[in-house]
Amino acid sequence: MKDFIKRFDALLMLVAFSIVSVGLVAIYSATFTSDSGSDYFSRQLLFACIGAVIMIVISYLPPKYISKITYYLYGLSIVLLALVLIMGKKISGQRSWFSVGGFGIQPSEFAKLTTIMALATFLSTEEGELKLGSLKNFLIAIGIVLLPVGLIMKQPDMGTALVFLSFIIPVFFWAGLSPYWILTFIAPIIIAIAAFFGNIYFFILLGILALVFFSFKKNIILTSIIIVINLAVGFSTNYAYSKLQPYQQRRIMAVFDPTTDPLGSGYNVIQSKVAIGSGGIFGKGYLQGTQTQLKFIPEQWTDFIFCMIGEEFGFIGALLIIILYVILIIRLINNAYLCRNGFLGICCIGFASIFLFHLFINIGMTIGLMPVIGIPLPLVSYGVSSLLSFMIMIGIGMNAYRNRNIYI
Amino acid sequence: MELLTRKLILFGVCVVAAIVLIVRLVQLQFFNQEEYGKESQKNAVKTITLTPARGLMFDKNGHVVVDNRPTYTVTITPNEFDTLRYKEVSMLLGISEEELRAKLKEVKGTNRFNPQRIKRDVDFKTIAYISENEKYLKGVDFQVEALRYYPNDFRAAHIFGYAKEISEKQLENQVGDYYKQGDMIGIKGIEKSYENYLRGEKGYRFVNVDVNGREIGSVNDGRDDIIPINGSDLYLTIDRDLQSYAERLMKDKRGAVIAVDPNNGDILCMVSNPDFDLNIFSGPTDPKVLNDLMNDKDKPLFNRVTMTNYPPGSTWKMMMGMAGFASGKITPTSLINCPGGFVFGNRAFEDHGAYGSINLTRALEVSANVFFYKLVLDIGLDNYYKYSSMFGFGQKTGIDIPEELPGRLPSTEYYNKVYGVGKWTEGYLVSLGIGQGELGVTPVQMVAYTAAIAMNGLYNTPHFVNKIVNTNTKEEIYPKFDSRKIDFPQKWYEAVKKGMYLAVNGEGTARGIKNEEFILAGKTGTAQTQGNNHSWFVGFAPYDNPKIAICVLGENLGWGASFGAPTAGAIMIKYLSGRDVFNPDDQTVFNVRD
Repeated sequence: MKDFIKRFDALLMLVAFSIVSVGLVAIYSATFTSDSGSDYFSRQLLFACIGAVIMIVISYLPPKYISKITYYLYGLSIVLLALVLIMGKKISGQRSWFSVGGFGIQPSEFAKLTTIMALATFLSTEEGELKLGSLKNFLIAIGIVLLPVGLIMKQPDMGTALVFLSFIIPVFFWAGLSPYWILTFIAPIIIAIAAFFGNIYFFILLGILALVFFSFKKNIILTSIIIVINLAVGFSTNYAYSKLQPYQQRRIMAVFDPTTDPLGSGYNVIQSKVAIGSGGIFGKGYLQGTQTQLKFIPEQWTDFIFCMIGEEFGFIGALLIIILYVILIIRLINNAYLCRNGFLGICCIGFASIFLFHLFINIGMTIGLMPVIGIPLPLVSYGVSSLLSFMIMIGIGMNAYRNRNIYI
Repeated sequence: MELLTRKLILFGVCVVAAIVLIVRLVQLQFFNQEEYGKESQKNAVKTITLTPARGLMFDKNGHVVVDNRPTYTVTITPNEFDTLRYKEVSMLLGISEEELRAKLKEVKGTNRFNPQRIKRDVDFKTIAYISENEKYLKGVDFQVEALRYYPNDFRAAHIFGYAKEISEKQLENQVGDYYKQGDMIGIKGIEKSYENYLRGEKGYRFVNVDVNGREIGSVNDGRDDIIPINGSDLYLTIDRDLQSYAERLMKDKRGAVIAVDPNNGDILCMVSNPDFDLNIFSGPTDPKVLNDLMNDKDKPLFNRVTMTNYPPGSTWKMMMGMAGFASGKITPTSLINCPGGFVFGNRAFEDHGAYGSINLTRALEVSANVFFYKLVLDIGLDNYYKYSSMFGFGQKTGIDIPEELPGRLPSTEYYNKVYGVGKWTEGYLVSLGIGQGELGVTPVQMVAYTAAIAMNGLYNTPHFVNKIVNTNTKEEIYPKFDSRKIDFPQKWYEAVKKGMYLAVNGEGTARGIKNEEFILAGKTGTAQTQGNNHSWFVGFAPYDNPKIAICVLGENLGWGASFGAPTAGAIMIKYLSGRDVFNPDDQTVFNVRD
């Protein structure tokens, strides 16, 4: 019995519950004056309770039970993602929802979970080793991720599709891919961003990257090819930008200067910055946020929920929630480290990256650091599908802690 | 690489990301707090839109013909509204709960904490109830708004038209962003064509609101408020008394009347009957009443002055005369033999009688058909089309109401399209000569053409509005309408006019309306239709110095002489003398003969 409790990851669970509670408090404030406000709150509460039960049950399941069904779950997700394109409800131009008995179900939220699990199953072996050695395995691993990404881009939901790309590098890194190759993946992204800011940044960065690449002392021809590719990426970025539709350009420009498009894509960012900025250090007090209560911010109970926290609880509240997330993410990474089971380890790393990516992009967009990409704040934003899938991730994370000494 | 190293690198990435976010938050919430705080205060201002009253309309003598009356409009601010009170409020306002919910539904471009109009023209008892129960009916409020009021004994429904609450589709398709949900917009008639003048400019009142959206005083003592500017007033060309008289004459008839001042195209009166009561559209429109109106088999919403497509019958013959002169086939003295009938190919065409060899003037006087059968064949279809176009047929006149159709003026192209190239013969033309067949006209085209003949070729676009006066700046705008000269020798016009003179004052079909005091000129027409014939009359007066030109159409009312001529005569004499020549209820005063 003592062992039963000792192996229970109470810290991860408590942090997760704290974040969910903050979410409930925030959803209540963000919606209590609207027509169906109480519906949002009570639904989220109901599913938080259901999620908590599922989470704890999962934490006690033997790992091999979980890994055995992952491919089926993955297959099911793919089928649902395909079906939603045909039968889904179209909301503001996207076909990403099933409407079931008054609830919206978003298969792409569950696909995040199942894709990581499938990837983890594929990359882990019975011996506890990780396999990424052959090119074939490498390509299959990439394929597992790209299949749902392709379907989600069809919806089209670029934000969620990006989430899938966010965990590839951390998972490969954890699975043993050498820093040289990791850098090969990251370099074009960094170069593209730098080139967007100007050719000077692009050349400086390319120089630094070249030095780093050569310092690995790998095959000199291969390294040279990589650098030439990056050079091409840099030059083509600006060309690609000029080929974008004007509204897409505006959207990108609005990230750096929201005032260029105050009524379009910049509107949310201006309003959310005002809300958060006006909150100050201590906030305006619960239910007292003028921006939140007067509904200046669209989607303030889903993607822009952080505004409410920033406005009504101020910097203190925002800092606390970020710290909670950092504890949660570090705990997941640490569980991956402690855990001898390869499957659970990779799951934890995948989940940790998803949490971090969501956290950074979601909060980043509300404070004008990141483009407006519609992805939720994990465990906080209103949304039944995302809440459940994030809570299942925590459950698997707890499971990893519990089974940290078991290989299989 | 050691697993421990990998773990620490991932820890590092997470911490760095968190620090980036925190630094940015410090920047926003520590250093820019004041600036954003002010910004957020600015946002907590509620803007109340003040709707201007639509511009008034006056008749040519300065009498108000379209007025406004103050009414109460109940509004609801969605953000403040207590959703438990849907039922109560819908019962109070006498609308269904679904309708109320639909009105409070979020619409793009609306602001949840600005009042939405829910029902117009609400009675005072309801308003009193709302004021007394303010505390319970959160968000329910009222405004005083101006609605249309018609202080006349006539309707002029097709002239004035009406404004209605803007539809969701119109909101989406509007150019610019002037209109918001619940605003009125001109839909028909003058209300539509002069919408941009009539609507005025909106005003705004800025009030501070607390977090519950409640008003806590005006911003800056109201110094920033923008006062609404009422719509511009329109000075119309119509004559109140003449309009009223014409409507009485047309009572219980189906048909159309339009009279213009031939000197400038001013429309003196216009009636399309059956018509409808504009009060139906002022304030909330009962869907059932509207439905009945739309499904009425007599089509009261249809404008018979501007949208019909009927053959004009013998009122067309002046046109043929002008075309005959212009194409050089006849002169005013040319004679054509009219033996009482005409055979073309294997078809026989009838006439009213045998007139011998006669000129155009005589042919118009007696309305000889054979003259025009022969003439049109001589002229040919291309000239027929060319000269009729010059007098405005087959095209819109450009009258300043939006409801207008061009009618149908047959041409070679038209026949080739309908029957196929080479599959129609000249025989198709014969009946075109006497204004029958596939020719289709509108009364407004007919009156403009008659006026042009009366004025020796001066063609004025018929119109309703003379002057637009901005109520704020007092600036006056005089709308311009097309006016052109159809440049033919005066003796041609004289020959045609003389025929119209004799049709009334000689042995013509309209001799029943001969008047000693005012010399009338005109031409009757009888358009053959499947049922009873349509009765036409076009004319002008006084003969020497035309002050009024008129067209009357009576649907299925028989001969032109039996309805068209006496009605037109009465209106012309009424206008010229100010007297009612006869009691509209007693049409036996004119000696009507065929």
